[in-house]
Amino acid sequence: MNRFVAADPSKCIGCRTCEIACSMAHNGDGTPAPLSDENFKPRIRVIKTATVTTAVMCHHCEDAPCLNSCPEGAIVYRNNSVQIDQERCVGCKNCMMACPFGVMDVITVPAVKEFAGVKMTTGVKAQAHKCDLCTDREAGPACVASCPTNALHVVDEESVEKSLADLRARTAVSSIAV
Amino acid sequence: MEKHMSVCPYCGTGCKFNLLVEGEKIVGVEPLDGITNEGRLCLKGHYGFDFVNDTKILTPRLMYPMYRRSRDKDFERITWDEAIKIAATKFSEIKEKYGPDAIMTTGSSRGCGNETNFVMQKFTRAAIGTNNVDNCARVCHAPSVAGLAVTLGNGAMSNSIQEIGDTECLLVFGYNVADSHPVIARRVIEAKEKGAKVIVCDPRKIETARLADLYLPLKNGSNMALVNAFANVLINEGLYDKDFVAKHTEGFDEYKKIVSKYTPEYVSEITGLDPDDIREAMRIYAAAPSATILWGMGVTQWTMGVDVVKGLSGLALLTGNLGRPNVGVGPVRGQNNVQGSCDLGVLPNVFPGYQPVTDAKIRAKFAKRWGVKELPDKIGAMVTDVPHLVKDGKLKGYYIMGEDPAQTDPDLTSVRESLEGMEFVIVQDIFMTKTAMFADLVLPATSWGEHEGVFTAADRTFQRFEAAVPPKGECKHDWEIISEISTAMGYPMHYENTKEIWDELRELTPIFYGATYEKMEGLGYVQWPCTDLDDAHGTKYLYEGNKFQRPNGKGLLYACEWHPPMDQTDDDFPLVLCTVREVGHYSCRSMTGNCSALQTLADEPGFVTINPEDAKRLGIKDKELVYVSSRRGKIITRAKLTERTNKGAVYMTYQWWIGACNELTGESFDPTSKTPEYKYSAVKLESIDDQIWAENHVQELYATLKGNLSGAVENASVLAEQEPA
Repeated sequence: MNRFVAADPSKCIGCRTCEIACSMAHNGDGTPAPLSDENFKPRIRVIKTATVTTAVMCHHCEDAPCLNSCPEGAIVYRNNSVQIDQERCVGCKNCMMACPFGVMDVITVPAVKEFAGVKMTTGVKAQAHKCDLCTDREAGPACVASCPTNALHVVDEESVEKSLADLRARTAVSSIAV
Repeated sequence: MEKHMSVCPYCGTGCKFNLLVEGEKIVGVEPLDGITNEGRLCLKGHYGFDFVNDTKILTPRLMYPMYRRSRDKDFERITWDEAIKIAATKFSEIKEKYGPDAIMTTGSSRGCGNETNFVMQKFTRAAIGTNNVDNCARVCHAPSVAGLAVTLGNGAMSNSIQEIGDTECLLVFGYNVADSHPVIARRVIEAKEKGAKVIVCDPRKIETARLADLYLPLKNGSNMALVNAFANVLINEGLYDKDFVAKHTEGFDEYKKIVSKYTPEYVSEITGLDPDDIREAMRIYAAAPSATILWGMGVTQWTMGVDVVKGLSGLALLTGNLGRPNVGVGPVRGQNNVQGSCDLGVLPNVFPGYQPVTDAKIRAKFAKRWGVKELPDKIGAMVTDVPHLVKDGKLKGYYIMGEDPAQTDPDLTSVRESLEGMEFVIVQDIFMTKTAMFADLVLPATSWGEHEGVFTAADRTFQRFEAAVPPKGECKHDWEIISEISTAMGYPMHYENTKEIWDELRELTPIFYGATYEKMEGLGYVQWPCTDLDDAHGTKYLYEGNKFQRPNGKGLLYACEWHPPMDQTDDDFPLVLCTVREVGHYSCRSMTGNCSALQTLADEPGFVTINPEDAKRLGIKDKELVYVSSRRGKIITRAKLTERTNKGAVYMTYQWWIGACNELTGESFDPTSKTPEYKYSAVKLESIDDQIWAENHVQELYATLKGNLSGAVENASVLAEQEPA
């Protein structure tokens, strides 16, 4: 089963710490560069309506519409998650249109090529942009670690098994009560 | 990588973390398991450190003293020797000519720490000879301090932050905990998860209202009526604790008489609430085995602030929710050290530890320790008195430390006039601010992160913080600067370090005596009162054994008649403006505006939130720029449409330069605490047809304002090279 980050609306206070943590975790190599309008590109978004406050992000679907719609094979299942091979992405936006949750974005970044050790900017490079579960971050997703109210947590096969087992046990007990 | 233990410089929660330092630069933070935060931080804690590094995103750090020879001249860079001499000479002249009461000083509730505040009030009282010293609590929780001091005998939170998670009922009144104290919001959620009932009274559908079991969206300006109705229900339905009231309170008969009129039906019109909801709220509150009342600026920033605080404490007294764990009254402090600046006596009526200046014995004790013949016995001026005292020719010199009244005080036109009306103004800060632009002398202080000391969290918790990086430029510690000015004025003050200051203040203040630096090592903490050296952590909750800190040990039940707010809406100004806070920015924004992450989340011109129905009527669309005007001023900001804002009211946060809501607020004050009625100003909103012009106009204004502030600092350096002062 694919892992994903789940948000609990009953704990979310809409502070957007997760958005900054996400942006920072994916920004710069090693030490994060200062944030600005140009590089603030969170893959998790806090939504506030009249009745709900919560964060939304990629579900890492089992039969992922984004993956199925990608003509370049840039979206793959890897390490119990849906990941993007950016070098294959052409920016066609099929994935963006296919995602039923609105959490796939397509962005452009300056394209950099290297010739004989010299880095050169050559136009722009498209990137399908969504939660990658901070796959390169040893401590796991930055949003989960930073949330001041513990409203975010990683759901994986083990935690789902446990919560389903608990639910089944509760169902069994309540059936006696009836 | 070095690690230095610190306490967050933003809200009053008192979160502990390590500052991560590489090459004399702060590069990150690492949460610590502090008593109040238990390993959690909010966005300001995680990402609010880089202002120390002089990012120049909004304004430059001050690096050297600056002086202008006359008000029409630019600032010039000068040496510290010159700066100290100028400050001492000017203040001595003013004192000589007009008397000591012509000088006013401020402490700072922000990063400078308790020791600096102690030195500032000592300088004001012993060297200048006046009690004209105050801090920004005046425009914030001063009504809580004044109100609770009368009814319970102590102006602070009765119980501790960590107890909030264990209470069984929370009555949240005029307090947006999610935006003000995210890490305390976690405690509210914890309490709720453990089964606590949550009641929220707020005109706006704030985050806590969304989670509440019962939400009372009262009309703006009806607090006192609702609190009286709460008391009415508790008494009429026999829900109050008769035994507790008989044994531990006084004033019940008079109290009962006043609230008898305030039936839920009677206040229904005033509050806009269903009488049954008012009854239900009190049935829940009274039934809970333990219940806590939390409040914020929604209670205090009114002309009836002190009265409503007294009224809320009455509810806790009626139900016996005081003097034990997980109950009490919680005025949750907004700034990291606003509790501390009050504790340390940067208030016009008390010495450190709330010892009254009017008490001859107390004055004699301080005079003896400080080596002066006598100390002033007259209660001094408050910061909100400044405009009219200048107008009356009574104030001539002003020493402003770490505050930005030209951004944060009400009716900015009058604030600017008062600064211009002074003969001599010193601004001591870490950044060039709007207030510093009015100064004659600007003194650069070290920032949080560059000095050490003790902060007091909202729940009376003393915690130490360390220096992480060396001072920038020629910056000196606040307490060093004040000591040098004092010495130059003929009252020698010299301290080697903050511990020496702390030990002096401990000896003078019995309730702090047991709070030694040693106990606060690392993650150590002490909650005052702590009178005993053997007491490891001090007092977790006040009034144990239901002994209130009043002369007869009883709590006072107090109620008074409700009256409407001062500013009135009419056809010209039909909407109510209420000023509020947003989670990512802090105070005047001199710190958060210079943090890359925080300023990326929200930047000029800020916004005014409005209900979509009101917006539609006015032809205002979401995210469009609009004019907001009151009887006092007119500004431009961005409209944000949200159903969480109640109809008839609009809300603005107070840190923006362009969308500066304090150009609109007025000078109506609580009669006791002189706290302004920020929560109620009559305004109107107007749409702007040419949005392209408006966007350009905002950008130009912003660039000009930024340019003026950074230009003043850069230009001073250039001038010094050309013509040494």
